[in-house]
Amino acid sequence: MMPPDVGMPDANPFVEIATHLFLEDLAAKVGVGGLNNYLVSLARNLASAMPEEEYATWAEFLEALRSGRSILSTFEEVRPVTDRCMVTPRSPFERGWREYAKRVGSFAPVHMESAEHYNAKVRPAAVTSLHIVMHTFREAASARVRVGGKTIRYEPLATVWVDGEKRSPPEDRLAPLLKRAGISRTKLGMLLRNHAEVWLLEPF
Amino acid sequence: MLDVALASLIEDMIEKAGADGVVEFWQRVGDKLAGRMGKEAYLGWTSFNVAVREGRTAFSIEGEVAPLTDMAITDIDSDVVGYLYAMRQCCYEPTILRTRYSVGQMSPADRTVCEEYNENVHNIAVCNFCVFHERFREEIARNITVSGNSLACHLLATRGWAGETKISAQNLAKININEEHVRALLRNYECVYALVMRGARLKGDG
Repeated sequence: MMPPDVGMPDANPFVEIATHLFLEDLAAKVGVGGLNNYLVSLARNLASAMPEEEYATWAEFLEALRSGRSILSTFEEVRPVTDRCMVTPRSPFERGWREYAKRVGSFAPVHMESAEHYNAKVRPAAVTSLHIVMHTFREAASARVRVGGKTIRYEPLATVWVDGEKRSPPEDRLAPLLKRAGISRTKLGMLLRNHAEVWLLEPF
Repeated sequence: MLDVALASLIEDMIEKAGADGVVEFWQRVGDKLAGRMGKEAYLGWTSFNVAVREGRTAFSIEGEVAPLTDMAITDIDSDVVGYLYAMRQCCYEPTILRTRYSVGQMSPADRTVCEEYNENVHNIAVCNFCVFHERFREEIARNITVSGNSLACHLLATRGWAGETKISAQNLAKININEEHVRALLRNYECVYALVMRGARLKGDG
């Protein structure tokens, strides 16, 4: 029997703002590349500190995602659109960013610079530094989940930031990813109207 | 999730710069954030306290702050020169809960930084975030004027997640408030501080 759902409380946005400033100060010392390395290891460490998971079937795994019981839905609401295509309605970083913009001012450029560094070196999927954490976390967390004895793999399809800026893989890489996710290009565009991220999970 | 991940960043920094290095780093971040929040001016304590209640001051970034207007601080002429303020919930408490639900338990790095601060700076921290927090408040208080006087912030008491309490004897002495009054406030609040006009001559001052 499952324990009652206690739910994950929201973070105080002040802690997130302080963390942003913490990262900005760090970037002043180690540069954009160094910050990138920190963010990647931060996300990997977080995923590796969380318990591994196993599910008998893909349907059971999707239900865990939907109800927020999986490692992959711990910090964000996840809605499966098809068996393989997942959407995040709201970025888990949106509240912190909004509070930062309201109380502190415009987002420090280093957050966008580190995203560009990530886009050039790893995969074109980040608008801000926060997406580096998100994509790396999902990738590392997926490797900790086994469904029917197989590990699963994560690929981002598209990311939209609060201001509407979008990132997705180049066309030649996007088309096969959409096919694997079971959605069309038009459907992706429709999802991006009111979702922060669209991503793919598949057995590996 | 950044809040939960922060603990691993602190662990890493302790390895590179030591717990004292993390304390300095957090304090510098507190200075920088306060510096970016700009200046504020209020005609008097009434307008400042209304602004605090409505969440319009720089202090409001921390969450809901209650001005304890029944606990005024007066000077030698019995004029009000400050008040106590309190938060029902520590800013870091949701992160501690989120860490419990996602990772399982808080990193020992949290305790390491906290102890370093308590031993060498000010014995008031109940979590690593207090280090950042205290400096941040001190700096934003400088940037706020009430009736033309800039403010000073004194962190008085904290209550941690596990129920441990800290009361700052050194800061209580600065504002002439009885320790038992502050201890009673900790039943309802997790963080209590005083805002006082800089340069005010308090009762009992030589």
